[in-house]
Amino acid sequence: MPTVTYTQPNGTQQTLQVEEGTTLMRAAVSNGIDGIIGECGGQAMCATCHVYVRPEYAEALPEISDDEDEMLDCATAERMDSSRLGCQIKIDAELTGIVVDIPAGQL
Amino acid sequence: MTTQAAQCPYHGNSETRSADAASVPGSSDQARTTASQDAADYAVADWVDVAELASDPYPTYARLRAESPVAWVPQLNKFLVTNYAGCHTVEQDQEIFSANVSGATMTRAIGAQPMLRKDDPEHSVDRAPVNPVLRPKSIKEVWGPVFERNAETYLENVAELGPEEADLNRDYAAPVASQNLIDLLGLKDVSVEQVRRWSHDFIAGMGNVLDDQSIWDRCDASTAEADALLKELIPYYRQNPDASMVSAFANSGLPTSNVAANVKLTISGGMNEPQHMVTNMVWALSSHHEQRAQVLADPSLWASVFDEAVRWQSPIGMYPRQTTRETVLEGVRIPAGAGIGVVVASANHDAAHFGASAADFDIHRPKRPHLAFGSGVHLCAGHWAAKTSIGQIAVPMAYKRFPGLRVDERRNESWDGWVFRGLTSLPVTWN
Repeated sequence: MPTVTYTQPNGTQQTLQVEEGTTLMRAAVSNGIDGIIGECGGQAMCATCHVYVRPEYAEALPEISDDEDEMLDCATAERMDSSRLGCQIKIDAELTGIVVDIPAGQL
Repeated sequence: MTTQAAQCPYHGNSETRSADAASVPGSSDQARTTASQDAADYAVADWVDVAELASDPYPTYARLRAESPVAWVPQLNKFLVTNYAGCHTVEQDQEIFSANVSGATMTRAIGAQPMLRKDDPEHSVDRAPVNPVLRPKSIKEVWGPVFERNAETYLENVAELGPEEADLNRDYAAPVASQNLIDLLGLKDVSVEQVRRWSHDFIAGMGNVLDDQSIWDRCDASTAEADALLKELIPYYRQNPDASMVSAFANSGLPTSNVAANVKLTISGGMNEPQHMVTNMVWALSSHHEQRAQVLADPSLWASVFDEAVRWQSPIGMYPRQTTRETVLEGVRIPAGAGIGVVVASANHDAAHFGASAADFDIHRPKRPHLAFGSGVHLCAGHWAAKTSIGQIAVPMAYKRFPGLRVDERRNESWDGWVFRGLTSLPVTWN
């Protein structure tokens, strides 16, 4: 099973084993990871699942769609090059080991 | 305006026990038997007074949260879930807590099952076409100017009536909300009054669990008018697509019956809530002078005013779900096929989530997610439209136009409802 590591703003890390095909957002919300809200259930309508993806995983990520791009501009925390919406990233074998940083706020 | 508050238009389970046996197939009798046999498994809150809920539900909510945040309420034929953790859990699991609640009134009222009563994947098929129209960029750039124009029109109306006569609900909030919805949907050749009537008649039909024929007759008449309009609009928009919701539905490939049901759902559900947010915000600021002074000095605070007002006095207080199997929620065992009331207005006052000041209006409180727009796949599709049209445009413009805008204490105001709650009249005055 692929693994995902979530890093809190204070540096604490939590690593999950997740079902292939789940999203970064769904895995976080189902496992009670603080700091990822996913208010809209994964429709790219709320920008509350914003994460920063560590650069070494950037190439393996799917391209940013127009909808995701628009919503990232609405994220509360500063948008950076590594910014993605967790609901738009499906975890598969290629992305196993992915490490993300959770922003200080989603609201 | 919404009808008597006890008739929830957004659920199929009846409000009265006698109708329940007919509307909840199979398991309703089992649920009642189980309720009497396993009374120790869940609290029964038979003290709840429905009339008191409609006049002011918040004390009832506080007692439910304290004593039994998941409780069977016989007079409503539902388990009311009143704490934040419980409501959030329900919203996150559409498999156990289905939106496809039994009972025919919504489908009977608007002719087919709308997206609100479906779970994914069927729900997503109906919902996906309108999400692009309702994302923040489209709302701000395409619809912002329209919302401003509509606000301007009805500010004139209020000005003409003057500071001794004006009622913010009747003279501003209601027509602005109606015209904004007409424009966002893309309805043509209809008046504000006509669409308000449709909205009222659909809502009455959805809540018509006692099967009152006169309510069906009015609902059917309004449905026929709306269907006739859509019959022309759908082909029109296929030829002339634009940024409106009906255009998006018309070009989605969805069958006409889906389009019609979802447009009627939107007419029912997208009018009263923004309307109530206009009056809620002015009411809140009228009794919190320091915060009012702050936002008038710093307009970047309007977003916080809207957000706090919608949490503090949520226009939608409760909506239904139904368990698909026996489950345990907040330590309470709930049978299969049970009607659930997700009381988000109560969750929004939960001190366990918002802190000791949960019942206060405080635009500076630390940001915590609230449930006024729901959460999960049914998160209100119109939430950006509401935040923009009301929070950024209609209310700030009213304060700009009428310095000293405030509740007129010489005349009576009136709150009503709990399933849907709002000010039915808010006399206002200004300098």
